Amino acid sequence: MIVSWNWLSEYLRLEMPVDQLTEKLALSGLNHESTDDVGGDLAIDLEVTSNRPDCLNHLGIAREIGVLFDLPVKWHDPQPKLIKSAKLVTSLTQVENLEPALCSHFTARVVTGASVKESPWWLRKRLETLGVRPISNIVDITNYVLFESGQPLHAYDLSKLTENRLVVRKAIAGEELVAINGKTYKLQPNMLVIADAKGPVGLAGVMGGLETEITSGSQDILIESARFDSISVRNTSRELGLFSPSSHRFERPMDPEKTDWASRRCVELILDLAGGELAEGVIELGGGKRQRQPIALRLSQIERVLGISVPQSTVTEIMNRLGLQGGDTTDVGVSTWAAPSWRSDLDREIDLIEEVARVYGYEHIPEDKPVPLAIASRSRRERVETGIRETLTGQGLYEAVTYSLISEELSKPIHGDLMEGAVPIRLEHSSRKKETTLRPSLAPSLIEVRAYNQSHGSDNVSVFEIAHVYLPRTDQDLPHEPVRVSAVCGGDWRIAKGLAEAVASRFQVQGLLETRLRTSPVWSILDPLASAELYLGGRRWGVFGNMTKEAQQAKGLRLPCAILELDLAPLIDQAQLQPQYRKLPDQPGVTRDLSLVVPDSVRWADIAQVARQSGGPLLENVEFLDTFRGGNLAAGTQSLHFGMTFRNAERTLSGEEADQAVGEIIRSCSESFGATLRS
Amino acid sequence: MSSTSNETTAALVELDRLESEGVTAFETLTSIPDWEAARVVFLGLKQGRLKVAQEALKTLPGPDRKTYGQRFNAVKTSLESACDSAKTKLDQSVVKTAVIGEDLTVPGTARGFGRRHPLTQTSEELIDIFGRMGFELARGPEIEDTFHNFEALNIPADHPAREPLDNFYLTPKTLLRSQTSTVQIRVMEATKPPIRVVALGRVYRPDAVDATHSFMFHQIEGLYVDRGVTMANLKSTLRQFAKSYLGQDVTVRFRPSFFPFTEPSVEVDMMWDSSGRWVEMGGAGMVDPNVLKAVGYDPDEVSGFAFGLGIERLCMRRHGIDDIRPFYQNDVRFLSQF
Repeated sequence: MIVSWNWLSEYLRLEMPVDQLTEKLALSGLNHESTDDVGGDLAIDLEVTSNRPDCLNHLGIAREIGVLFDLPVKWHDPQPKLIKSAKLVTSLTQVENLEPALCSHFTARVVTGASVKESPWWLRKRLETLGVRPISNIVDITNYVLFESGQPLHAYDLSKLTENRLVVRKAIAGEELVAINGKTYKLQPNMLVIADAKGPVGLAGVMGGLETEITSGSQDILIESARFDSISVRNTSRELGLFSPSSHRFERPMDPEKTDWASRRCVELILDLAGGELAEGVIELGGGKRQRQPIALRLSQIERVLGISVPQSTVTEIMNRLGLQGGDTTDVGVSTWAAPSWRSDLDREIDLIEEVARVYGYEHIPEDKPVPLAIASRSRRERVETGIRETLTGQGLYEAVTYSLISEELSKPIHGDLMEGAVPIRLEHSSRKKETTLRPSLAPSLIEVRAYNQSHGSDNVSVFEIAHVYLPRTDQDLPHEPVRVSAVCGGDWRIAKGLAEAVASRFQVQGLLETRLRTSPVWSILDPLASAELYLGGRRWGVFGNMTKEAQQAKGLRLPCAILELDLAPLIDQAQLQPQYRKLPDQPGVTRDLSLVVPDSVRWADIAQVARQSGGPLLENVEFLDTFRGGNLAAGTQSLHFGMTFRNAERTLSGEEADQAVGEIIRSCSESFGATLRS
Repeated sequence: MSSTSNETTAALVELDRLESEGVTAFETLTSIPDWEAARVVFLGLKQGRLKVAQEALKTLPGPDRKTYGQRFNAVKTSLESACDSAKTKLDQSVVKTAVIGEDLTVPGTARGFGRRHPLTQTSEELIDIFGRMGFELARGPEIEDTFHNFEALNIPADHPAREPLDNFYLTPKTLLRSQTSTVQIRVMEATKPPIRVVALGRVYRPDAVDATHSFMFHQIEGLYVDRGVTMANLKSTLRQFAKSYLGQDVTVRFRPSFFPFTEPSVEVDMMWDSSGRWVEMGGAGMVDPNVLKAVGYDPDEVSGFAFGLGIERLCMRRHGIDDIRPFYQNDVRFLSQF
């Protein structure tokens, strides 16, 4: 809201420097945006919060300044002059209100024989300070009164109204209106319009029609001052994308006592600046005062909320300055108040307490009253997330934060398989053209990050993210939002799997980790021959694998990459957050390694299991080293190279004992898989 | 001394040759590996030439052994001394070579490591500070129902903040939360006072993306409800937070503002240096009695304060970042700066 310094000076004596004024306004709720010198006047831009529509006009701001600086505010009650021979307004026009629920108050006054011309300099200047273009005296006056009182007005050329009458009604399907901005709007049946006998001449509270506007030849003028339902005005505005100073005010609570005041003020100015004769009387439909309950204010509550005590005399003075009436003390420490018509936001005790705080000044509230000591502990989830970040950054991955909303395209590789046929959650409508879907997986966003980095000079970026994904479910009202960690890294699936293993080791649950192969592909972006699922303690933990060449090419990725995505829940539940000490062995261990030639179809996990079972009590550990194919090996066979550690906790183990155990392992592997020693 | 036998004489000549060859060899060495090889040749315990010479003693006639033995000991001492001094000399020369031969100004080879996202770093720091002040981390869903996102927060059905165009609705009854205040409601519904929590997470508003706006961003929200909680407690808590976060004494200023779920509502400004410049940090206020009622609390029994801070804004200010978009682009050249 831009206000003019000179204009404000009409209502009170502004003797303070402008900086002092704006600072004080800012500290009492009207944030100061800027002050501009506009040819001898100052245009002060103030931010008005949505609870203070009374400050969307000069009188309101003047009142606020009056409260803060304890200055009297002068404003008069306009009484436009009637000449003796004045015609009755009802002889010139009629108004019918078919929608009293949406138009609670409608007034019409008529001035005949006015001359439309340029406004005087002072009026043009006032509007120009606010950035409003002067048009003609009549239009400028309606704008002036709007910015003075906050009450929007509309002036019709009475002679252009078919049958010289108005009706407040809803639009009829198919009706159109050319507004004063020259644009044609198709009206919907829910929109409130002002119509003449022929059709709509204005969008109630939003904008008037071009056809019946005041032009240079207009003489007979009908002034409309009304109150329209805020939601109706807002909906019409939104649907048509048409916003005006008028709709801005009608969307908010209005001062009911300003409707008639503004009408009289407008007519007074027209008679003064454009001449003509005022028709006797006013056409008034609806109206009446809003019934409001008096508000009881307990002095003790002020201290209970603010933490400071404010004397009753100060409270009373603040209430009085704000225009509240009453102050009767029924009980000790309780006073009762009636809010002024313009303060629609004051209904409850807490509203008055806020007013006391605001006017008394927040600087009086001390900042040395700390809250008492309390204990807060970190949840398992927090500790797990921290550990994952430690582990993955330690592995060289960067943490990314990507949007939860993704394009439908990006959600495609996942749905259908991982989501078991469910469709990802979509927004009803989105202000984002592309991002319309809540992501069911993090990996596609991280692939985008890798591609983004490639196009910015970093070809082989490995990233991870910890965030929620969003999955539909039918058994509860809200969708499921499991938290996941996903990583996209350069290299092959062994790197991705290694990250999962590193995370598992970080929380001492590596022993619970299990790789399960799937016959059907896990995700369409994962190579079916180079991807699998991970389980932790028998619970599905996630997936890892190589990104398919096709998917890689589709994203323009030059280097191969691997993907990992894990649900945090199985880890949060099973993580060992208080690792237990295991005594280090006193006795030295003996290590051996073996290369066994087995058919290609044999899996390392199977060999490892047989080795563990057959290695005897001295076998401490079996460790994969590598797989070899080709060379002098027969086709269809592979050599699995692995290491073993043997130890006797009581005494030094001899090499012969270890060799004996190795012999057992070879024999068992030979029986189970036809394994032979690689020569 | 013709008393010695011919073979003893030959053995003594051999000892002389061993001494002269050995000493020369050790004196002319230029590298540690050569020295090691020479040591094995001459002084090796199993087949070194000195060892061979020692074995030769056994084959000599008894009377000659003493003579040979004395000479052998002298040669042994001489060779060992030559060997030791050669080693000392070589060790010293290695040090000299390093100074001259290696360029120690080339960079080392560290293992690469990644970084936590700057927003995570800021979030963790905030959680840590508020944790030390007794605020536990609370969470709530990002997809919310209109009750928790609006009604319970004193935003009634006809309120403009509920406009479809100003929110991301999934259905008429569910939407992406527009503020973390929703978590307040969920915590209060599930718990009796006293309550002291911070909620941190993603929030969504359909703003056009530019340098200072994003349709998704992060908030941290604090809530404290108990008997006798006042605005003085709020101001003091925020000042303590600021002191810890900014590492120096800070003054807090309240400016009146409006949020449906708090009353009184304030904007929080802070000033921490002599510039006299107030910096806007976030919004706060006393929990509105209607909000307390909505979760079944008696506003005459308990009171509470709430505050909300934007993570991006705090992070940008801390690191001098002037554009919000790089947070979500995740360019490693950006991420590696923090």
